[in-house]
Amino acid sequence: MAALLRALRVGSALRGLGSVVSAPAAQPPCSSLTRGFHRAALRLQDESKADKPPSSSPSSTTYHEHYRAHSAEQEAAGAPQEHSASEPAAKEASRPNTSYQDQSGEQGEEYETEEQLQARILTAALEFIPLHGWTVEAIAAGAEMLGLSSASTGMFYNGAGDLVLHFVSQCNSQLTDILAEQHNQVQLGQAEPKKTAEFLRDAVETRLRMYIPYIETWPQAMSILLLPHNIPDSLKHLSTLVDDMWYYAGDRSTDMNWYTKRAALTGIYNTTELVMLQDSSPDFQDTWDFLDNRIQDVVNMATTAKQVQATGETVVQGLIGAAVTLKNLTGLNQRR
Amino acid sequence: MHRAVYSCSNIVGPAMIRQCLKCRVPQQLSSRAYSVVPTPRDSEEKEMLHRILRVDHAGEYGANRIYAGQMAVLGRSSIGPLIQEMWDQEKVHLAKFTEILAESRVRPTALLPFWNIAGFVLGASSALLGKEGAMACTVAVEESISEHYNSQIRALMEEDPDRYTELLQVIKEFRDDEIEHHDTGLEHDAESVPGYWILKNAIQLGCKAAIYASQRI
Repeated sequence: MAALLRALRVGSALRGLGSVVSAPAAQPPCSSLTRGFHRAALRLQDESKADKPPSSSPSSTTYHEHYRAHSAEQEAAGAPQEHSASEPAAKEASRPNTSYQDQSGEQGEEYETEEQLQARILTAALEFIPLHGWTVEAIAAGAEMLGLSSASTGMFYNGAGDLVLHFVSQCNSQLTDILAEQHNQVQLGQAEPKKTAEFLRDAVETRLRMYIPYIETWPQAMSILLLPHNIPDSLKHLSTLVDDMWYYAGDRSTDMNWYTKRAALTGIYNTTELVMLQDSSPDFQDTWDFLDNRIQDVVNMATTAKQVQATGETVVQGLIGAAVTLKNLTGLNQRR
Repeated sequence: MHRAVYSCSNIVGPAMIRQCLKCRVPQQLSSRAYSVVPTPRDSEEKEMLHRILRVDHAGEYGANRIYAGQMAVLGRSSIGPLIQEMWDQEKVHLAKFTEILAESRVRPTALLPFWNIAGFVLGASSALLGKEGAMACTVAVEESISEHYNSQIRALMEEDPDRYTELLQVIKEFRDDEIEHHDTGLEHDAESVPGYWILKNAIQLGCKAAIYASQRI
């Protein structure tokens, strides 16, 4: 079963390889082609890893493969093939068993999912953002840096949106790791637990500092996140970010406080992000001062709310007492 | 076939899966080593478990408020101690679910303030119909809740009884308590209230709507 899967996979990879060899220009994204690109990209990768060619440019690796495919044609076992152009490549259908085992140090199932490949490309693309902005060109440059064809941007149906969402998700994961690490240290007794306001302040600052390398182009990224088809995803990322921050700050509420706390922190985070975009002070000091003030506002509001609630309860108690006294005085409280 | 492919990709490890593109929310970390609810393996299981816990929490919260309403009216009557006893058991249930919600990082339903008022009003107005009215309300609500717990138990057993043993234990225990309340209500002349049939069905319809809403909102 696994072997059949592998054979089918490689078979379709070779079809894609055939089309990459013949026409390396960008093609309109359609699902079979993107699958082909993905498989082709995988094969290029595997071959370059296995053979270690002297030059790492994609075209020479491609030709290398092409020649190897031709020479190996004779030993072709009957692999299912529909496309005549993939005949030389179809040869390689019998190779998967040998090539996977030949890769020294890597097990037979060196299998990267499409999502992992996309993640790698997008991470590589982040380097090119100062140059190209949050655009498909940056993704293409990232793909090329990894040794893949720039046509692999066809994998990303959402284009620049995919890049921005990937970056946001990556930043959130980093923040979660940092917060979890701090939490562990507190559990182990190696660090003092911070007060809530200070904790949130540090968490928001840490998270926003991740934008500093891209701050020039961040307005573009924010506008991409505000596009209607990106809004559900960006809101989901924002809500998990805020939930994580409150969880590690120690919030375990299970009533309306759950909602009010997260709403407050979302407001603080968003406004601070906007202030950061226009901040030109050294090391964004103005932004962090703004953040301090906003958190202080929320703390004050929470204190005031508690006071109002306590006062309200006292007033109600007083009223009930007055009512009972009146009932006693007028004799209505007598039991028959 | 899909499962085999999926299990292949697990070799690469959860850290990489976290970086995945399709806006799948990264695995949320919990700081407790042991919990009644197992850590969900994927987003569907997480969705299912969170719905179950959210609606159970909302249900116990509502039941709490219903008994509070009944006590407000009938607290000083002869049936007071009995209602108080049932209320105390509901408080224990609510505390347990609150604890589970907090440790599993489940979002509580946004309709809680609504259930707060609706529950109290239902309890108080049924108690105004007298002791039998209060008992009829108890019977209707407890029947709804135990049916609901039973369907949850069935769903979890169908999924994977071994994985959810502790959660199933908790739900079974609470379901048995609710059935006991139901039987207590029947013993105390619930059926003798005028309009019992219509009262019971109206309340049960309301409970079904509440369950539906709390699972989603």
